[in-house]
Amino acid sequence: MKALLASLVLLLPLAALAQAPVIQISGATFQPLPLALSTPLTQGGEVKSSAAAVDDALLFDLRASGLFQVLDRASFLADAKEGMTAGSINFARWADVGAEALVKYTLTREGDALKAEARVFNVGNGREEFKTAQSGPTAQPSQLAHKVADAIYRHYTREPSPFLAPITYVRKSGSNRDVWVADWDGRNARQVTQGGINLLPALGPDDQLGYTSYQQGKPDLYVRKPGGDTIRLKTNDGQMATGIAFSPDGKRVAYALAEDESAQIWVANANGEGARQLTDTRFGINTSPAWSPDGKRIAFVSNRGGSPQVYVMNADGSGVRRLTFQGNYNQTPNWSPRGDLIAFTARDERNAFDLFTVHVDTGKVTRLTQDQGNNEEPSFSPNGRLVLFTSTRNGPSQLFVMTAEGNNHLALPGQDKASITTPDWGR
Amino acid sequence: MGMGSNKGSGRVTMSEINVTPMVDVMLVLLIIFMVTAPLIQQGVKVNLPEARAAAVEASDKKLVLSIDAQRRVYLGEAEVLMAELEKKLATNAKAQADKELYLHADRDVPYGVVVDVMAAAQRAGITNVGMITDPSAGGRASASSKGKKEARR
Repeated sequence: MKALLASLVLLLPLAALAQAPVIQISGATFQPLPLALSTPLTQGGEVKSSAAAVDDALLFDLRASGLFQVLDRASFLADAKEGMTAGSINFARWADVGAEALVKYTLTREGDALKAEARVFNVGNGREEFKTAQSGPTAQPSQLAHKVADAIYRHYTREPSPFLAPITYVRKSGSNRDVWVADWDGRNARQVTQGGINLLPALGPDDQLGYTSYQQGKPDLYVRKPGGDTIRLKTNDGQMATGIAFSPDGKRVAYALAEDESAQIWVANANGEGARQLTDTRFGINTSPAWSPDGKRIAFVSNRGGSPQVYVMNADGSGVRRLTFQGNYNQTPNWSPRGDLIAFTARDERNAFDLFTVHVDTGKVTRLTQDQGNNEEPSFSPNGRLVLFTSTRNGPSQLFVMTAEGNNHLALPGQDKASITTPDWGR
Repeated sequence: MGMGSNKGSGRVTMSEINVTPMVDVMLVLLIIFMVTAPLIQQGVKVNLPEARAAAVEASDKKLVLSIDAQRRVYLGEAEVLMAELEKKLATNAKAQADKELYLHADRDVPYGVVVDVMAAAQRAGITNVGMITDPSAGGRASASSKGKKEARR
């Protein structure tokens, strides 16, 4: 056993060397990889309808990843009947449309399961680089697509994809505002609250979902556990609690508690006990707490300097430091899971809301959106590569995704005209 | 004296041929590369026009559009219908990145067909079209050289 362990330890660095990522995402020279996704080969007529849904979701995942230049199928020159193995593929025809990577996949159905086998080829040398077999429920074909996309993403980057984590948001319907949970791309949406005013949902580890609700006439915090039980965090009469945020380990929650004319940041255990006040400004507002990925710091918004700005403090309330100095209205901070950046919403001199990131150590501010309606409420993907946000560029407030550098803006598919706000991407 | 013929507000009839569209096409295709055929291996058999001109080094694999003697059009090795050519080129990531195309047309293809193909390429946003010619018998426009270029793969 010891010998086995020792040999494993010896082999690990070698394995790591052999597993160097194909796509290096960081760096100024990053260029998306031109990738051709061929239409799925299906077996059996009943797979056809699911195939369109799988294909649609897979195309969206690959496009939204920011890693790939997904080639237009209208340009394809290959024979539609071309096979799945390197020997049967005419790589010259794929090279002629500019592809450097080729993904071919088949879909089959076995009972209630939908199965996909995908193969990734290097067009330049005509070799099969990687293959994966995945399965998912026939009723939710897009979930199978996310698994295939995740495998492809991992193959190229050696890091987890953002495609398997859920999102939550608030959807307006008449006078109601309800919390919904959906797959990362907005598909398979499930309504969590039933009517009334429900706001500021947040996903925590272990499928915890927290939100603010006016069920009892004033804003209170609720946490729904994985089994579906929902608890209300205790507050005193007259206290208004809003904007819950789970610590990365899920053991603590931060929120804003308002009384009289001021709002302060508090931290409590996940069940609401052991609450402790972190900020203490006599007047003014401290709100929108956001945890750092190591759980040691909390970003928040405070108007103690005269206008709402993003501040950072230690998780015990010490070491408060102002982080943003540009503009006079910065809010909704969201800490990148990579730890280096905080994304936030800023209102500029034209009264338009746009998204920025600020580097936590250097204070360097980078603009992500401009001249495309109001863009608000950024939320990083679990791997920190993408940002989910709301935008009014197409009319009502809708969900969009872009890269953390502000590139490749895409509206999530299938949104109706309902107004959607305050998205949060689960970890 | 030109004024004399322009009486009143009547318009002057142009009697010349309107060459503007042709000039448009040709201006866009101003940069013409002469490429030696063996540099680019293609599966379509074409009798190339012969010309003595310096060869341009093709650094990497370029997109080649071939027209064979039967006027069939090929992008690389894949036959493309003339009606679809513009769309195929407009969506082709390689063509759009390079804005460049090499034309490999059989010497027996009428000039009009070549111009049609060039115009489709122009509409698809391709600004540089290089002509592939065969330099080996350059300038000797003799019938005897015809046919011996059939050996291409």
